Amino acid sequence: MGYVSSAKKSTTPSGGWSDLWRQEDYWAVWLGLTIIVLAIVFWSNGINFMNWIVLKIPSYSNYNTAISYVSSHKITLLTLYLFFLILFSIAVKALTGEVKRFLVGFTFLFLLSALVSVWGSWDVMKRYNIETPLLALVVGLIISNLFKIPNWLSTALQTQFYIKLGIVLMGASLPFTLIVKAGTTAFAQATIIALATFLTIYWTGTRVFSLDKRFAATLAAGGSICGVSASIAIGGAVKAEKQHVSIAISLVILWSIIMIFILPLAIKALHIPPGPAGAWIGTAEFADAPGMAAAAAINEQAIKTFTLMKVVGRDMFIGIWCFIMAFTSVTRWEKRYVGTKPDALDVWIRFPKFVIGFFVASIIITFLAASPHVVTSKALDNRIINPIIELRNWAFIFTFLSIGLTSRLKDLASVGWKPFAAFTAGVLVNIPLGYLLAVVIMGNYWITVK
Amino acid sequence: MNPNNETCVQRTRFVFNYYEKKEWLAGEKPPLVDIIKVKDVQPENLRYFAEFMHTRLNRIAEMMDILLKVHDDWAITGWKDHILMETESFDFNDSLKALKEHGYHDDEFVLKVEYKRKWGVL
Repeated sequence: MGYVSSAKKSTTPSGGWSDLWRQEDYWAVWLGLTIIVLAIVFWSNGINFMNWIVLKIPSYSNYNTAISYVSSHKITLLTLYLFFLILFSIAVKALTGEVKRFLVGFTFLFLLSALVSVWGSWDVMKRYNIETPLLALVVGLIISNLFKIPNWLSTALQTQFYIKLGIVLMGASLPFTLIVKAGTTAFAQATIIALATFLTIYWTGTRVFSLDKRFAATLAAGGSICGVSASIAIGGAVKAEKQHVSIAISLVILWSIIMIFILPLAIKALHIPPGPAGAWIGTAEFADAPGMAAAAAINEQAIKTFTLMKVVGRDMFIGIWCFIMAFTSVTRWEKRYVGTKPDALDVWIRFPKFVIGFFVASIIITFLAASPHVVTSKALDNRIINPIIELRNWAFIFTFLSIGLTSRLKDLASVGWKPFAAFTAGVLVNIPLGYLLAVVIMGNYWITVK
Repeated sequence: MNPNNETCVQRTRFVFNYYEKKEWLAGEKPPLVDIIKVKDVQPENLRYFAEFMHTRLNRIAEMMDILLKVHDDWAITGWKDHILMETESFDFNDSLKALKEHGYHDDEFVLKVEYKRKWGVL
């Protein structure tokens, strides 16, 4: 579980301008915006390159149809592979330097993604509601839980990197006005649920199971604010033990994977429309990547409302949560290491930088749509937004396969029953409360968000 | 939990400020209080500052010695007003224990702990 680089480890100084090329978040921004700028440049020069490289497998009932489609698009597939490989290799070179192993691993991941895309387009899969995201996850889980994942493949399983890139590209399909308008509603809704879930896990953890306050806060953050990112941020802010942070991360991943399967099934069983369904997944799922897998199993509208709820309503505010928790830690709990006081600068340090890319992408496309140079909005959709959405979908398939391929359920489950029970108490509050707010109370609003 | 299942990397950061401690105890006088934006600064104010700096910088150097003795992988950066020592390969509790065993107190350093995912973790 988790990839450990074989490169010689030595601590490098943190901070400063070097974060711009040493942090995964920034690379998601650079690559995402590069793709968007390329799409605009090609379009403005009348070149149809972006539409040509994206490969969308059509639905089929006969395997021969799929085989002949792929055979006739071999060059496109190869170009798409090279396009991603070149962009990702630049980022990997700056982040870890292990380009050679990444090249081999990514080649395997791309081929597996193409295979899953073809398989997921089979009408039999669609008939049984086995959408491509779920299929990718299941294939990944089967491989990683039956076989040992070799290091050369682990190098390419960068779940967070792929999902962040996908979210930056997602910005191109959401008008900025919609983000601002729906973001406010999402924030209000997400905050109510996050507070209720946080307090439940914290109270259950400390009062019922006598867990350390810092451990309980780290667990509660993971289950309520924004998954793994919140656990590591709050864990650092309150100086939780390393092992406790690891347990919180494992629990977030375990419950996230369970929810990828439960939520789409529940949504279909309860006949919830896609808009409210995405919003519900946005509060019910614990991490971005698994949430996107669950939303992508519904449809494009669910992906949009999920992103608004999760990224705009929850992820953005992690820094503020950290500040509050760090303040509580040193003022209300026992004074551990009084030399450390919360710093307002931490709000910026903790801010997920890829969200900036998401906003910039949205602003670029929003301005372009308002520009007099655009002949029609249809041209904008066909030549820029649609190919970006298809590239985003490929990034999501890399993400979903990576989730499966890096998740060994046996390892994730070995966390001890007390933290598991405390976290589960939060899940039992989060899910029905999220349903009540996203579907029952605000359902009519989320239906209109498209 | 199996220690091999660790999913995060811990970064410990010790900040040693030259002039300021986080908390001044009773009887202690901040070194620049009689110098910065003060009219008619007296020579003895500078001598007090020099004496403070001599003691403070020696204390910082001793703390650095202790940390370097218990662990050899530190990134050490010098700034105009502080020294920053960082490591990702030594638990912050062990670093604290070493400093405290040698009589150093919480208010002589600022400790920050940060976690990040191991590469590839969801």
